[in-house]
Amino acid sequence: MIEIKKLSRSFGNLLAVDNLDLDVGNEIFGLLGPNGAGKSTTVMMLTTLLRPSSGTAKVCGYDIVKDSKKVRSKISYVPQDMAVDRKLTGRENVMLFAKLYGIPNRNSKVDEVIEMMGLSDRAGDLVAKYSGGMRRRLELAQALVHEPEVLFLDEPTLGLDVSGRKKIWEHIRMLKAEGMTIFMTTHYLEEAEKYCNRVAIIDKGRIAAVGSPENLVSSIGENASLNDVFLEKVKTPEEQAGFNSTQFRNLLRRR
Amino acid sequence: MKAVFYYFERDLVKWLRGRVTVVSSLVMPAAWLVFVGLALPTKFTDNYLEFITPGILVMTTLFSSLQGGSLMIFDKILGFLNKFLAMPSPRESMLYGKILFISVRGLLQASVILLIATVLGVRVLNPISVLLIYLTLFLFSVFFSALSTMIGLYLGDHDSYAAVNSMISMPLFFTSTALMPYDVMPAWLRTLASLNPVSYAIDSTRLLFEGTIPVYGILGLATGAGIMVLLGTYQFRKAVV
Ligand SMILES: Nc1ncnc2c1ncn2[C@@H]1O[C@H](COP(=O)(O)OP(=O)(O)OP(=O)(O)O)[C@@H](O)[C@H]1O
Ligand SMILES: [Mg+2]
Repeated sequence: MIEIKKLSRSFGNLLAVDNLDLDVGNEIFGLLGPNGAGKSTTVMMLTTLLRPSSGTAKVCGYDIVKDSKKVRSKISYVPQDMAVDRKLTGRENVMLFAKLYGIPNRNSKVDEVIEMMGLSDRAGDLVAKYSGGMRRRLELAQALVHEPEVLFLDEPTLGLDVSGRKKIWEHIRMLKAEGMTIFMTTHYLEEAEKYCNRVAIIDKGRIAAVGSPENLVSSIGENASLNDVFLEKVKTPEEQAGFNSTQFRNLLRRR
Repeated sequence: MKAVFYYFERDLVKWLRGRVTVVSSLVMPAAWLVFVGLALPTKFTDNYLEFITPGILVMTTLFSSLQGGSLMIFDKILGFLNKFLAMPSPRESMLYGKILFISVRGLLQASVILLIATVLGVRVLNPISVLLIYLTLFLFSVFFSALSTMIGLYLGDHDSYAAVNSMISMPLFFTSTALMPYDVMPAWLRTLASLNPVSYAIDSTRLLFEGTIPVYGILGLATGAGIMVLLGTYQFRKAVV
């Protein structure tokens, strides 16, 4: 569904994504990595919002630069920062997307996705009155009105409580069961381990590891978790800057 | 091009739900008309209200169009722009929807002024003139909302946009024919005023109030609006990919 070849993007002299090669099939694919690793930049290139500096990628067989409009007709994108209109009702927010996508029978389709996201009884309320979890689900509803082939989710569970995150993941699983490909980024490794078919760990724009969570974990050793893989593959900023924990503790004690 | 309407509708509904902003944007221009038109002492005309009404009409649409530039900035920094740009509908529709909304909002404000001016005794000769006044104001509004959206996208943040806005709006207004006709202006002001696109709209509107049809004025504004929309489209395309 997604073929990425030597994809790079720089901002000034900062190389945010560096020669990325990746193939994603019909699966739930998780892109993991520390803050600033280049996850959002990658997603934005794949959703045709950012032009690559070099390299190519295809989504559903269409080139993200040359056939960007075709790509957009196959995908949905939910950005990292929530953007839903507070002065519109939940239903109006979804309806706007249904209209823009040109959905036939949009009234019933809108009701259907709102129902699916469990927002039916609050659909008539202004979004200003929604909780963070409801807004996230509303954004998913917006993305789902047009039944995309590939769904891009940039940190869909950010800032949600345990049950809110679980709900989102169940929805993702259900969408996968219906045949949708999901490409997502997250910082919650336990969840990625549990729900993703495959993950890639990127660090400073480069792939550090890619594979199914089970394979990655077993390559580290028994009783390991994806957290251990992550720590093994990704250099933390402290290590690079030579963070000295003893010195830091002494500093704190002195105060 | 249905998408243009949907984007327009979104902005309109959002605007109408902010009651305070709606009331203030409708009351403020009316207050200008009443205070300036009835209170300012003048020598060159005995019916200043009739003279100032076109000026206030154009001023209101000017300020409202210039303010409109911040709409696109907010959609951009709040992440709406990216969500819309990832959809298959033509990307420019987002821009045209904004221009349409800002211009229609300006016309709504202008209607309030026209209404109050009529109550205060200003007369327009025939319905055609009223229609052409709306057309003139619409073209003028398109010109400035396309320009302000362009500046907004270029600057990308709200504070600098507000600074630029206040820097250009007042000079544009005071160097126009809004407050006095060319023949009572000092020479330097006359030159500035005759170059100012705002005077263009005011002069045309004034002629319409007098019952003349300013063919060249309207054609000029239409050309200006067309060019600005083209430039805006070009810049929008460059800015979003
Ligand atoms: N528009 C931009 N201009 C300049 N630098 C940028 C821009 N967007 C991203 N960057 C830089 O590119 C790098 C990658 O950013 P990106 O947002 O892709 O990271 P991320 O993996 O999504 O991080 P996070 O987990 O914090 O969301 C960062 O160093 C960031 O500062
Ligand atoms: Mg990110």
